[in-house]
Amino acid sequence: MTSQLTAVLCRSSFDHQMAPKYNIQNHLQLFLFYIELVCIVCVLQLLHMSVFSQSFSPCGRYLAAGNNYGEIALFSLSAALSPDATVQSQKPVLTFTAHEGPVFTLISSDCHLLSAGNGEISAWSWTELIKKVTVSLNTQQPGKQHDLIIPEINAMIINPRDNSLVVGGGDNNVHILDLEHGVFKSVLQGHSDYIHCVSVREREADILSGSEDGAVRIWDSRMDQSVHCIEVYKYESCARPQYGKWISCVTTDSDWMLCGGGPSLSLWHLRSLSPTSIFPLTGCQRQAAFHQDMILAVGDGPFVSHCLLGGEVKAQIPCTPQSLNTLQLNTNSTEHRVLTAGGSSDHIEVFTNLSYRAFSLSF
Amino acid sequence: MGAVTDDEVIRKRLLIDGDGAGDDRRINVLLKSFTKWCNSPGTPEEGFTQYQRMLGILAQCESSMGKTLMVYDMNLREMENYEKIYTNIEQNITSAHDKIAECKKEIQRAKRIRKNRQEYDALAKVIQQHPDRHETLKQLEALDKELMQLSHIKENVDAKLELRKKQFHVLLSTIQELQQTLENDEKSDNDDSQESPFLSVLFCKFSFGSTVFSKQHFKPSILHYVVL
Repeated sequence: MTSQLTAVLCRSSFDHQMAPKYNIQNHLQLFLFYIELVCIVCVLQLLHMSVFSQSFSPCGRYLAAGNNYGEIALFSLSAALSPDATVQSQKPVLTFTAHEGPVFTLISSDCHLLSAGNGEISAWSWTELIKKVTVSLNTQQPGKQHDLIIPEINAMIINPRDNSLVVGGGDNNVHILDLEHGVFKSVLQGHSDYIHCVSVREREADILSGSEDGAVRIWDSRMDQSVHCIEVYKYESCARPQYGKWISCVTTDSDWMLCGGGPSLSLWHLRSLSPTSIFPLTGCQRQAAFHQDMILAVGDGPFVSHCLLGGEVKAQIPCTPQSLNTLQLNTNSTEHRVLTAGGSSDHIEVFTNLSYRAFSLSF
Repeated sequence: MGAVTDDEVIRKRLLIDGDGAGDDRRINVLLKSFTKWCNSPGTPEEGFTQYQRMLGILAQCESSMGKTLMVYDMNLREMENYEKIYTNIEQNITSAHDKIAECKKEIQRAKRIRKNRQEYDALAKVIQQHPDRHETLKQLEALDKELMQLSHIKENVDAKLELRKKQFHVLLSTIQELQQTLENDEKSDNDDSQESPFLSVLFCKFSFGSTVFSKQHFKPSILHYVVL
């Protein structure tokens, strides 16, 4: 690289006295050099890419994935899963830059894709995205009225009861945005450190939030108050002091809750607020989900762990990225029922049968 | 339209001709030999042999015709057989589809049941850590009994205390009254005559006893002292 550059420069300086016929050659070489540099930068970018969030479209045929460069890529699942799929069909049909910072969380409502990064929430219409029109419909900034520092937004979830968006971010509070009117309804304060993840309990009108301060708080969404506060690291069976006390994943099944992060991934019974099973997984789990009678968890380590509710790890399916950040199940479509997992790589693993990795989509 | 049917006819004739191993040719030969035999001027034996030959050829033609008819029958029956098998297989396919759907539902149910069972187990584990309800109830009953006994004892002691207090109060008040009457007597006595030393000692003792009692000492020794 540098030797080529010096050679070009020397020749250009030497050729000033020579005939002007060398100028075209120099220009061409400089141009080629520039192209090579751009290629190398692209490759390096791909090497350092991490996928932070994923969301399936309401029709179930498209997957949107957000990475740490602020880009959202749209993949067509019907093309990738069809019998005559090529390498090209595993590439995105559309890639666009949604935010300046990383896209930490993506969520789909009935017809919109909501993405959030460093302090702003943008809404995109799915129909427009499928038509490859990337104009953001609406951009909201939570807490803009009160705070000068706009925090990063780590997690969003839609509460279907009252059609509101629950947002948790760096300012230690949970904000609730009314999706009908686009106005922030309320703020839930109580955590003493930033919030990693939020979840809603469907049967009761409860919101759960897990934060860096090691507490999982259960909020009543009607009264906007904290109902319970579970400090997971204080329970000896779950705590892993070598990893810390932060909670990075919270997910609930109305009666049961899975939470993990610094402490081990554990299953809690919410009525009695007691831990029932601890999963012996090494590393910190970043996302977990209930699926039929199993629990799927991803985190440190290049695999997706399948666990039973009793606490034993049934299987660990290997994947390409070294650690996984996000796991999504496509429940919106019956013929494209896939599990996708993305992490610290530009590849998104797709599982058609949960027992093995089928193929990878790449940015 | 006419061209098509002509083609068809030509195709059919070619098929028959090519297939029949010369059946058509045999018929033509028979016809020709028949006309030759009719018109032949030869001897009767030759005519007879010719006649036999022709009968033989005729028989051959008839047998091949019979064969083709049988083959045709057989084909028809094969077709029927195949139709039957075809419908049978179709029915099997639909029933297999239904069974697969049933099994899928069963699997879903079984998975739900397994999930519920695992949830029960998990909760049971937590519950086991807590002590048995009967034991705790028994402990509670025993504690209740103890509590009742102790409260009984306390009541008794309280009642005794009250009684003693009242008795001593009565004693004290009578002592005070006696003291008063003695003082009065003394005063009236002193007015009349000199003081008696014995009475003054008694008076001191009474006053000492009453002050001791006012301080609520309940020792029986002091009681004896006062009586003295």
